[in-house]
Amino acid sequence: MYNRAFLFNGIGPKYEKLLAKLTPEMTEQYQAYYSKACEHLGLHKDIEKNHGYDAKIAEWLVPFVCDRVIFEKCIAQGILPDIGVGYSSGIVSATACFGSFPYEAAYDIVKTHRSMLIALDEQQVKLDTGIIVGFSYDDLLALLRSQFSEEELVIGSSNSSFHAMISGKAPAVEKAIELCTNEGALKAFRLGTGTAFHHEIMKQYSQEYIQYCHNVTYKDPKYPMLSVFDMSILDTAEKVAHENQINVYTQMRWDLALKELEKLGVKEFIDISANGSLSKLSRVKRGCRIYTFEDVCA
Amino acid sequence: MRELTNEIKAEIKDMIFDYYAEECEVEKSEINENTSLQDDLDSDSLMLVELIEMTAEKYDMDIKLQSIGKYMLKAPMNTMNDVIEMFYKVYQYGNDIIEQA
Repeated sequence: MYNRAFLFNGIGPKYEKLLAKLTPEMTEQYQAYYSKACEHLGLHKDIEKNHGYDAKIAEWLVPFVCDRVIFEKCIAQGILPDIGVGYSSGIVSATACFGSFPYEAAYDIVKTHRSMLIALDEQQVKLDTGIIVGFSYDDLLALLRSQFSEEELVIGSSNSSFHAMISGKAPAVEKAIELCTNEGALKAFRLGTGTAFHHEIMKQYSQEYIQYCHNVTYKDPKYPMLSVFDMSILDTAEKVAHENQINVYTQMRWDLALKELEKLGVKEFIDISANGSLSKLSRVKRGCRIYTFEDVCA
Repeated sequence: MRELTNEIKAEIKDMIFDYYAEECEVEKSEINENTSLQDDLDSDSLMLVELIEMTAEKYDMDIKLQSIGKYMLKAPMNTMNDVIEMFYKVYQYGNDIIEQA
């Protein structure tokens, strides 16, 4: 029986916003871990002093280190997970925090995105993602399929009954934003990521990432995880490996993952992200509650 | 169309002020009808969704978010007064609010 689930956020929130939320004690811990991570990857620990692709990698590293600090804070306070689930690259954080591979592997995985960014630039591929607020998954899917092929655009993640991330070719994302706005989206905007995470097109640009996830050694996780792709329980090294391997190019169903956790008995959801971003886009049924790390630290 | 009494109007306005005060971590007394959602409260669309859900539950209504979205295309939400006026119309007209913009 599961009662408490830890939710791990992926790359996304601006790093300044994440760091602003940490307590002084946690900031100190963060700085120590971040310095070591940068040393491991050959990056400068001052984000601004990195250039080009390194600057992006240094930024993307921040949420992973924040997750680690917050996770350790929870554990130190006796708040233990019964199960965990990762949103996008939060899968990598969950894998590391749950001891399925070392934190250094998580940092290495972030760095494998460098070759993806280079490949996208060299081939001048224009990709993007966007956020649509105000449509159910079925309504949004019907609307998008009436105008776009799956090759052009997919729902990269259905986050809740009203919130989704779309992903695909940049012109299609832009057109979809306009379409959704006219059809009554409360909010629709491009994220300008230059990538199309959770679209199949990313497979060809993420070979280094996929290869790394194949080659790294996994252990059975200390706590089970739930797949955001097929809602299965991930309790062995092999299953966790597979979740990581398919991550960047497979559609997520965050909404269904949370529903599955509810079915498994979870009542307490702990948002491990520093800025509570998952608690904002997620919905759980009455009787369940999402706690942010500020709730936990209070 | 549902009747919008002065009592219901006061209740809706109070609910909206309470909600934004709590969500945006400001004193309720600091909020007035001219308060800017963006500049003064730094609010976002997810807050609005939650407020719509709360209203639907409180008044036992079935509100489609797209109806509100289409209304907002014609009547953008900039100030607290815009929000209050919209929720009055939501209460009165439900999903037919689009025709009231």
